[in-house]
Amino acid sequence: MKQHALFIMKSISISLLALCLSVQAKTVTQQILPFNLTAEANYALGEPSKPAVLILHGFLSTNQFFTVTSISDSLQSEGFTTLAPTLTLNISQRRSLVKCTSLHTHTLQRDIIEIAHWVNWLHAQGHTKIILIGHSSGSLELLEYASNAKNPAISSIILTSLFYLNGPELGILSQEVTKAQALLKNRINTPSNYQFLFCNNQYYATPESFLSYLKMDKSYTLSLLENLNIPSYTIMAGADKRFHKVGREWLDALEQTQTNLITIEGANHFFSREYEFDLQEKIIDILNQTPP
Amino acid sequence: MPLKSYFIQPVKVYFAFFLIAGITLSALLVSNLHSQTQSVQTALQEKTLQQAQKEFDVVLDDAIINLTSNLLELADWDEIRQQIEDPSYYYFWHEDRLKGSGYFKNNYAQIELYDQNKWLLMPPMDEDSLDAPLPLQIQTDEAELIFVSPTKAYLHMFEPIFARDSQTLLGYVGISIALRSYLIEENEFKDINPQSIKFTETQPINLSDLSSNIHFKPMENTVANELWQQIQNFIVDIVILLSVFTLLMFVIFQRLFSRPMQRLANYVQHLKESTNDTNTQPNETFLIKEFEALKHSIHDYHRDLQTAQKELNTQYEKVWKQARQDALTEIFNRRAFDEMWNQLVATYEYNPNDISFILFDCDFFKALNDTYGHEIGDDVIRITAKTIQETLPSQYDVFRIGGDEFVVIIQERPLHEAFAIAKKCLKALKNYNFCGIGIKERLSFSIGISHLAHQNSKNLRGDLLNLPRQADIAMYKAKQSHQHKIQCYESQLEVESLSLVSSQVINTIVEAIHTGQYIDMHLQGIHSVQENKLYYESLIRIKKDDLFIYPKDIFSVVERRRLEVEIDTQIIQQMLIAFQKGHIPSNTGVSINVSGKTLLTSNFVDLFEPFLPYLKDYKIVIEIIENTLIDHMEYAKTVLNTLRSQGFLIALDDFGSGYSSIRYLAHMPVDIIKFDMSMTLALDADEKTKNIIRSTAKMVRDAGYDLVLEGVETEDMFEKAKQAGATHIQGYLLSKPTSILKIYGSK
Repeated sequence: MKQHALFIMKSISISLLALCLSVQAKTVTQQILPFNLTAEANYALGEPSKPAVLILHGFLSTNQFFTVTSISDSLQSEGFTTLAPTLTLNISQRRSLVKCTSLHTHTLQRDIIEIAHWVNWLHAQGHTKIILIGHSSGSLELLEYASNAKNPAISSIILTSLFYLNGPELGILSQEVTKAQALLKNRINTPSNYQFLFCNNQYYATPESFLSYLKMDKSYTLSLLENLNIPSYTIMAGADKRFHKVGREWLDALEQTQTNLITIEGANHFFSREYEFDLQEKIIDILNQTPP
Repeated sequence: MPLKSYFIQPVKVYFAFFLIAGITLSALLVSNLHSQTQSVQTALQEKTLQQAQKEFDVVLDDAIINLTSNLLELADWDEIRQQIEDPSYYYFWHEDRLKGSGYFKNNYAQIELYDQNKWLLMPPMDEDSLDAPLPLQIQTDEAELIFVSPTKAYLHMFEPIFARDSQTLLGYVGISIALRSYLIEENEFKDINPQSIKFTETQPINLSDLSSNIHFKPMENTVANELWQQIQNFIVDIVILLSVFTLLMFVIFQRLFSRPMQRLANYVQHLKESTNDTNTQPNETFLIKEFEALKHSIHDYHRDLQTAQKELNTQYEKVWKQARQDALTEIFNRRAFDEMWNQLVATYEYNPNDISFILFDCDFFKALNDTYGHEIGDDVIRITAKTIQETLPSQYDVFRIGGDEFVVIIQERPLHEAFAIAKKCLKALKNYNFCGIGIKERLSFSIGISHLAHQNSKNLRGDLLNLPRQADIAMYKAKQSHQHKIQCYESQLEVESLSLVSSQVINTIVEAIHTGQYIDMHLQGIHSVQENKLYYESLIRIKKDDLFIYPKDIFSVVERRRLEVEIDTQIIQQMLIAFQKGHIPSNTGVSINVSGKTLLTSNFVDLFEPFLPYLKDYKIVIEIIENTLIDHMEYAKTVLNTLRSQGFLIALDDFGSGYSSIRYLAHMPVDIIKFDMSMTLALDADEKTKNIIRSTAKMVRDAGYDLVLEGVETEDMFEKAKQAGATHIQGYLLSKPTSILKIYGSK
């Protein structure tokens, strides 16, 4: 009861604060030239003294997903500039979630290119200090990007609900992988249904698309995290059901890396309900700790 | 008001009329019920149709709105945009993704994407399986309905796809909806029978014309239909019931009424045709008591009627016989003769044959009567009639037409045969022993025969009518002969009988009698003794130029030629003219003499009918001679009493010239007695005779009759007549016969 009352009070206070600040968020449209796609992002300009924060949604989601908007709103209320792009997933100006059953032709590489485009755009807007925040697979994609990024404006990265994408414990079927690899080798990019993440066997994707994300397996992810050149913070939900598949050992593995691991006990994968604010507090705390 | 004849019809017609009227009325009522119910049904159907139309409009509008909404959602779908921008995996997306997505609704036949130029982005894979595939190029942005069959039509709708942040046209999305299935499956109809939805097959139409090309039927109203069915069943039941009722009524009517009535009618008809049949009563027993009673009543009534009829026939025959039978002789009388003769005259021209008229007469019968008395006279008449009848061949009858006159008509025989029959009769009469009835003298009879040989006749009717007179003339001739008591008429006889009268006089008399010319009627006054009143006796006189014919010659010719009826008829006609012309002085009267032959004619009463209007102002007396009256007393009573009842007075002329008049004095049908002139003259005879005359006059007066004494020519005679008791005096002393015209002129 006490937690619930606290949750309500926080909600009301943040809403009122956001209203008082009157932060004007706008949609930014960008042509992703190599693919001739139009991408959109919500851009809210904050205080110049504070770093800009790029917030990336999870798998098949958009920047309207509540975890993203929650983080954006809270950061904007703190005076941070925020940019929350929606990965096109090969759909210009995509506005809605992409279903498992939708045709998936997008690849991890394309996603990284779009992320790079938005970081560059943010940098071009005069933001010299950029902090990356990702949720779920968005964290993986930012991790992959940050590992290879050369942009000096990137100062740190906050990874929430960070897991990996490939591994038998996640349901990935080796025969499907083999088959997809064979098709791709033969340059046959015919879409098929695959067992992937929460889509079970309904993930309808081209072999190229499917295989591209399998790159992010457990060891590769940990290695990226280990080898990052910028500070990294990893915020995990203690009650994330992904642990049912990957086990709590994943937290230990993360602990073994140089990342700063924070676990919010009781929170689910999306930090919904009252844990939304815990996440916000943690992120704001992290941002406020970083030197200007 | 009398009933029109067409109202009189057999009972079956009336029954049929009422039955048809009843059935017609019932049929009208049932028809009206049917009509009213049908009106309600029609109104209900119209209402249902209106509701159905309203529902359909709503359904159709909702369908268009929903489909449009779906189409807009589709156009906003990211994956659509993805495919337009990069259709590399279009078929995979289209087949594996699109149809499994929630955007491909039930009853969507097709979803296709078009480029900016409205060309189909990729040709459909399953085009051949589509009834109405979306076009290769969009012709119009408007939705169109493509008809395939009455139950298949596809609605093609298109929606442009613009870029998210601009009006840049990316392409189009088109959908094809199986509209009928869509409407049926997406809606729950309340007033429309969804299976009845059909289309008019036409060229493609747009949405505005959609409604007019879709047809449907309203949902059947089960309650109304059930009610309607019930009513129809009711009407059928009524019709069946009426038919059965009609049949039943017909059978019942036939059994109860028609057949009994028909049987009774046939029975009555049978009785009418077979009046003597009394044993044909219908054996059938009728159910209705009244008919049964009527059957027995008819039978009993007919039986009684027959009994009565037989009795009547017997009575009629008796009366008929009595009317035509002479009471004295029991042979046919004058009336029977007249009927037979008139019938013969009426039919003779159509059935001419030789005919003989035989007239019998007893010579000196009056003297016989005077000598032996009427009883012996009657015996003679009876014997004569019987003898003639018995002698005649059986097929002939003898008629008594006068006191001692008998007639036999012989047909289809030549004259010599008729003569032989007459001869045989005469012989039988001669041979009869009249001594047996006390007659000492030998009786003789005269027979006159006239004959008409039809083949020699040029004037059948005229010649036939002359036969009686000719037989009379022949008989007159026979009476004059002692040896030849049977005479056949020859024209020479007429000349012989009138040898003392010149032919000019004869011709004048005959012409006057037949034409009325030359007749100068005279009147002689009959004066009342008590009052200063008189009436006249009419007397015929004939005068042609300087030729004045006296009564003696006139009646000689009349008697010889048997023209009594003709002259009486002429006198009556002349007197009628005198009355009509006002020649008869007022407050007087006239007496007209008629002969016995005229009295016996069948139209005697009719002769005086024209005088009836004058009876109130005039005294009209008909004078009958004594012998005629007494010889035909019964018949004369009937005729004369008829005239008396009309106001005429009857006078008995020449009283005392005949015989036994006193015997009938009390019952004679007369009002006035005229003494014969011999009796008037007898007042100058010896005392004994005078006393008889006076006594006779007293009896006449005591009997209540007026008494006329004629032939009074002197004052002495007048006084004696008065003393004898005469009420009226006639004679030269008081007035001579004077022409009517002179009397009229003197007035």
